[in-house]
Amino acid sequence: MIHDHAKSTSVANHAWIRARKLRKVYRKALRDGVQEIVPLAALDLEIARGDFVSLMGPSGSGKTTLLNLLAGIDAATSGELWIGDHNLVHMRRDALAAWRAKEVGIIFQSYNLVPVLTAFENVELPLLLSPLGRRERTERAMEALTTVGLADRAGHFPSQLSGGQEQRVAIARAIVARPPLLLADEPTGDLDRESAELVLQLLDQLNEREKMTIVMVTHDPRAAARARTRLFLEKGELARREEAVP
Amino acid sequence: MKLLPFDHAIRNLARSPRRLFLVVGGSTLVSLLVLGAVAFSRGLEASLGASGLATNALLLGTGSEESVERSEISPTTAEALHASVDGIAVHAGRPAIASEIHVALPASLASPEQATTDTASATRATEESPIMVRGYETASSLVHPQVRLKEGRWPSGGASEVAAGPEALARIDGAKLGSTILLAGEPCVVVGVFEAPGTTMHGEFWMPVELLAIITQRSTRSCVIAALGGVDEAGERIDPQVAFDDVEAFTAMRLDLETTAVRESEYYAQLAAFLAPIRMLVLITALLVAFGGALGGINAMYAAFASRVREAGTLQAIGFSRGAIAISLLIESLVACATGALMACLLGRLLLDGIAVRFSMGTFTLAVDSAAIAAGLLAGLSLGVVGGIAPIARCLSLPIPLALRS
Ligand SMILES: Nc1ncnc2c1ncn2[C@@H]1O[C@H](COP(=O)(O)OP(=O)(O)O)[C@@H](O)[C@H]1O
Ligand SMILES: [Mg+2]
Repeated sequence: MIHDHAKSTSVANHAWIRARKLRKVYRKALRDGVQEIVPLAALDLEIARGDFVSLMGPSGSGKTTLLNLLAGIDAATSGELWIGDHNLVHMRRDALAAWRAKEVGIIFQSYNLVPVLTAFENVELPLLLSPLGRRERTERAMEALTTVGLADRAGHFPSQLSGGQEQRVAIARAIVARPPLLLADEPTGDLDRESAELVLQLLDQLNEREKMTIVMVTHDPRAAARARTRLFLEKGELARREEAVP
Repeated sequence: MKLLPFDHAIRNLARSPRRLFLVVGGSTLVSLLVLGAVAFSRGLEASLGASGLATNALLLGTGSEESVERSEISPTTAEALHASVDGIAVHAGRPAIASEIHVALPASLASPEQATTDTASATRATEESPIMVRGYETASSLVHPQVRLKEGRWPSGGASEVAAGPEALARIDGAKLGSTILLAGEPCVVVGVFEAPGTTMHGEFWMPVELLAIITQRSTRSCVIAALGGVDEAGERIDPQVAFDDVEAFTAMRLDLETTAVRESEYYAQLAAFLAPIRMLVLITALLVAFGGALGGINAMYAAFASRVREAGTLQAIGFSRGAIAISLLIESLVACATGALMACLLGRLLLDGIAVRFSMGTFTLAVDSAAIAAGLLAGLSLGVVGGIAPIARCLSLPIPLALRS
């Protein structure tokens, strides 16, 4: 895969992803007033372009909330969240959708493939939002399926695939539009060790070779160990940051 | 806005055959009922339109202009009219003017004993729903050119005999040419079958007017029907409009006869207007029942789309807009409902078209014409759009993070 966006040089003095006092509050109407849940209190965070970040922390510490904000599928209550030149906090829903289509690939714990579409068609989905023609779409989708080692399963439906294979198809779908940012919420949570290992190798490879920036939520220390930067969340705050020694 | 491929929607339809069946079935029911109600209305209209001729003048008792059945006039009216109006058509030397009695009588098939004895036991017969019986004169065939003898013969005067329209016969179980039927308890032999397709007469019994007067113990007639357009002394054809004016002038002059003249076509048009509430009732009933079918379909659609909340969230996460997803879901709902509507049209055309509906004035046939088809299709497609909106809104109502978690 060739990337045209690995051109950023300003990483050293200016991180690619910057969160400033990022806050997310959920309001729940109760019988006696309103309950406020604050999954993210006032998060400051920087992630360099090309980094591989693992996000850890106890259940309920705000990992998924942060990932959703990074993905532009949830709106912050206040603060700033810059990804490149975009402050996601101030973007409207339609603009966010268009931004997502180009800039982010998302991998879910439970794959979320469309059951009536074949592996190939699932992978092709994001390309339907691009101006690419049919032939180019086919080429790119097959290329992505080849990257995850499932070119021979292109015509299979999700129900005909194993969990590990489904997740690899989901990864192919997430990378097919060649977004610079790949987000994964416990991508190995539902997988056996062997499949999990395969998925982690893939993420490694995408980070190494394709220079994709990856943020991965995980509970599994072995998975976290693969990341270059390890972030620990606790009660909506960044508790610890570890950089792997190169 | 980039849309999802059309065939994704089609494939999603096949996801749950049971739900698809419910949606298609619901829309079939809705379309069929609306189509049927329109076919009813159109058939009634067409039948009443064909039953009355614009060139016939109808003389009714003053005050009974809207119902031949309620009208009573003197038996001598026809003669008086003929004597004073020139414009009455003449066929083969006979004037086309007939006194008739129109009365709805209970009718049933006579058991063998009743067929022979004259002491009619009308008790059972009166339970039957009444059928229109027309007392006719020989000139009646001249004013009703729509009527043709198909089998047998016309009743001979004197004997208790009737001729029957096919739909009148069909209303009495087991009755056929040669059967003895009880009309208001009076045994009558069916000696002939006539046809008057598309008119209310197709569903009537006809017997000589004198006989019907005896059976019903009445000395009056219901109406006089005269075909207009005769020739004057000079052999010039008289314009039916002028002739009708003459008939009206006659009723105005002979106040003692207490009659009013209307064109036969106008009478039936008024009848159609008079029956408008019934047609409305049929339509409303159909819509109410259809509402049940619609709810069933919408319910199935709710379930189908509710199970796809997470998928809708995923598609949004990928970058598809809510609008694009809504359109895809709407296509699904429209295709399912359109299928039902088409099935309803096919069923309606095969099963309903031409079905005879009997009412006191005779019979008419359901007309599954283009208007009925259009109404059925429209009903089905409306269900697809209107019925789809709420389930679609529900499916897309959750914020993406919650949708993904559902
Ligand atoms: N849509 C929501 N409405 C209300 N509370 C929410 C919602 N989403 C998450 N939360 C709450 O926010 C907190 C953090 O959730 P989450 O980010 O999913 O944690 P994690 O992924 O670290 O387990 C939890 O207490 C959770 O119950
Ligand atoms: Mg989580």
